[in-house]
Amino acid sequence: MKPLIQVQNYSFTYMGTSRPAARNVNLEIGEGEIVILAGPSGCGKSTVLKSLNGLIPHLYSGSREGTVIVDGHDVAETQVSEVAKKVGFVFQNPENQIFMFSVERDVAFALENLGFPRDEIRRRVDWALDLMGIQRLARQAPHELSDGQRQRVAIAGVLAMTPKVLILDEPTSLLDPLTARELVLLVKRLHDELGITVLVVEHRLDLLAGIASRIIVMDRGTVAMDGSPREVLARKEALTIGVGVPTVTRLYGLLTDHGLNLGQAPLRMEELAEAVNRLVP
Amino acid sequence: MIKIESVTFKHQNGTVALQNVSLEIRTGEATAIVGENGAGKTTLVKHLNGLIKPTEGKVTVFDLDTKQTTVAQLARKVGVVFQNPDHQLFSETVSDEIAFGLRNFGFPESVIKKRLEWALEFFGLTEYRDSSPMMLSGGEKKRLCLAIVLAWDPEVIVLDEPTVGQDLVQKEKLREVIKMLLLRGKTVILVSHDMEFVWSLQPRVIVMAKGRVVADGAAAEVFSRPEVVGEANLMKPQLLELSVHLKNPPQKPFADIYEARQWLVSSVSR
Amino acid sequence: MVGQQCFEVVAGMQWVSSGFIFRHMESPVHSLDPRTRLLFAVELFVLALVADSPLEVSIVSIVVVSLAIVAKIAKRLVRTMSFTAGFAVMILVINMLVGQPLVYSIVLAIRFIAIVGGTSLFFLTTSPDELEYVMKWFRLPQDMVFAFVTAVRFVPVLMLDATQIMDAQKSRGLEMQKGNFIKRIRNFIPVLVPLVVTAVIRSGELAEAMESRAYGAVKKPSSLYALRMRKRDWATGAISVMLLVVSLYYFLVIAPIG
Repeated sequence: MKPLIQVQNYSFTYMGTSRPAARNVNLEIGEGEIVILAGPSGCGKSTVLKSLNGLIPHLYSGSREGTVIVDGHDVAETQVSEVAKKVGFVFQNPENQIFMFSVERDVAFALENLGFPRDEIRRRVDWALDLMGIQRLARQAPHELSDGQRQRVAIAGVLAMTPKVLILDEPTSLLDPLTARELVLLVKRLHDELGITVLVVEHRLDLLAGIASRIIVMDRGTVAMDGSPREVLARKEALTIGVGVPTVTRLYGLLTDHGLNLGQAPLRMEELAEAVNRLVP
Repeated sequence: MIKIESVTFKHQNGTVALQNVSLEIRTGEATAIVGENGAGKTTLVKHLNGLIKPTEGKVTVFDLDTKQTTVAQLARKVGVVFQNPDHQLFSETVSDEIAFGLRNFGFPESVIKKRLEWALEFFGLTEYRDSSPMMLSGGEKKRLCLAIVLAWDPEVIVLDEPTVGQDLVQKEKLREVIKMLLLRGKTVILVSHDMEFVWSLQPRVIVMAKGRVVADGAAAEVFSRPEVVGEANLMKPQLLELSVHLKNPPQKPFADIYEARQWLVSSVSR
Repeated sequence: MVGQQCFEVVAGMQWVSSGFIFRHMESPVHSLDPRTRLLFAVELFVLALVADSPLEVSIVSIVVVSLAIVAKIAKRLVRTMSFTAGFAVMILVINMLVGQPLVYSIVLAIRFIAIVGGTSLFFLTTSPDELEYVMKWFRLPQDMVFAFVTAVRFVPVLMLDATQIMDAQKSRGLEMQKGNFIKRIRNFIPVLVPLVVTAVIRSGELAEAMESRAYGAVKKPSSLYALRMRKRDWATGAISVMLLVVSLYYFLVIAPIG
């Protein structure tokens, strides 16, 4: 089966800058994966994300090499609105992506732009609101919502287009811990129920690593590591590059350096505690 | 020394942001204020340098009643580093940006020069001294905002969500700066959602929920109370979680991973 | 303190504009189609222009207030109108100074109040959503309609930005009231520059989000809701037109003779 997202020998340099923001990036993401894109600030993560939904090169110009193919279409050759139907992009700050005065009208925004018939819009809006558990907020104004609710409205607004890929740019950075955890569980549920492919950029991995099938680490514009969370996070380079390795995995690293045999790298403290308890005489 | 006595704050529209809050923050203490969004953390912080005056009750900062003192006078002693750098950077150069506060507080030019050099050097901004602050990366902007405040050497430093959007390396640096400030006897108040970062400082933790203080004590004690963690939408720090699950638990939870390593290695080889 | 004043100005603007800003409510007037309400506003406007005696302009004003009472927005309408009363007095004084007769000046002043009242009656009972639909119904270009929507949607957000910026700069020792006139003007730079920068950043993010939500994909976007004239809209519309005709007849034909 062909991968859903194919990035081949891709480089991009923003107009007016000399250093490429993405350098010879090669990526393949299959249908139904949950992938975390990690790496220090300025490593090229957002450039790659924006190249996946066509904001690059359609909104941002610059010099470009290689290809980005999503669901069989070359993104650079396709209109952004066409790509938008396949790649739903949820930005970091929900405030700046809720345009309308009521939740339901905002969720309908993309569908109105695409010219869907009214009953189809109604059906899809209700479906998306229901999926995100915000049906009761339908008539609320954006400023009446909490941060977590706003985040859900933003996600509903792209889900209404029934995209194949959901991209989330630092979705939890502005949320309190419990709201963040609820959001992560929600993303997992969306993935399980819809079979949607998820690509998340995040600094803090303690919550997300548990639901991801894969972590791709970028450094200085290119892909530095790619593998399962347990494998990638346990590697020394993850720390030197500046990936937000969860405390538990860092401790695991220290202990294995000390010669303790703890099996595979843990992502939750219970796992590490169990492994240690087994060794305690 | 900061004293908050039965402070209630109501917005113009009548919503209550703080409800009968009483606290005392001692000199040289590291304090973290945690709680969900809208719990009143930022409102509380704005009381400390007089940006907000209490509707009822009294706030005293180094024996000054904030109701009778200007924000400028208070800000000289209580430096607040706000979350969003774009809300304050405006100067043509990084140097001017740092000097702005110093000039406002009326330091003599010779002192301004010395403080400026120190701040640029300490925060690794010397190479950008003549560049525009707008040209800096997100992480550098955050560092500049910290440099701006530390340049005038306030007694109390308040950090509002300093780790948002920061990568591991930047967080590590921030932790070192905070440790240095504490060593120099400064008072540090941290507002944060990042429980791992909070835990790594082992501060006094004040938990807020719906405009009230619902817990106040040492980090290990506060985070061990399930009803507090639940009410304020918190999450247990991972090292505390580990201590709970061990067959051979330590006397007090691990403060950092090195302490944890030492204990675990010895408990395994025993 | 100018800093405090500046804050008060912002707060004051909010207070005045609250006379114009829509709030969700239910009343016989709110439940009408926005186009029926627009018709009311136009009719009141025409009447106010035609009325040319103190009695006539007062009648128009009373109609405005009565409608406001039915719409349960009387308090906020009076607030807006009391603000315009200042201007009305100015009109009165200026007209008298240039030698216009007192009666004529009074008519002008009250007419001004009636026109502002009739207009805000429409804006107070019409949600930005409905306003957008009315604009679309008039076939205004999509970009223009969307620009209007974003402007209204982001006014409160920018207000909040402004407060946060002022807080941040005051925390760096900025005293906006300090110094002579020139210095005080300069004191606004630390507030204005970040405000512009933040607005530019926001608009950039908005543009990205618009693109990602297929803005401009088709020439004629569809919509979740459509305006619908119901029986009561036609009925109230027709009655109001009849009343307009009768009043015009009275104002223009009977009253001048009488």
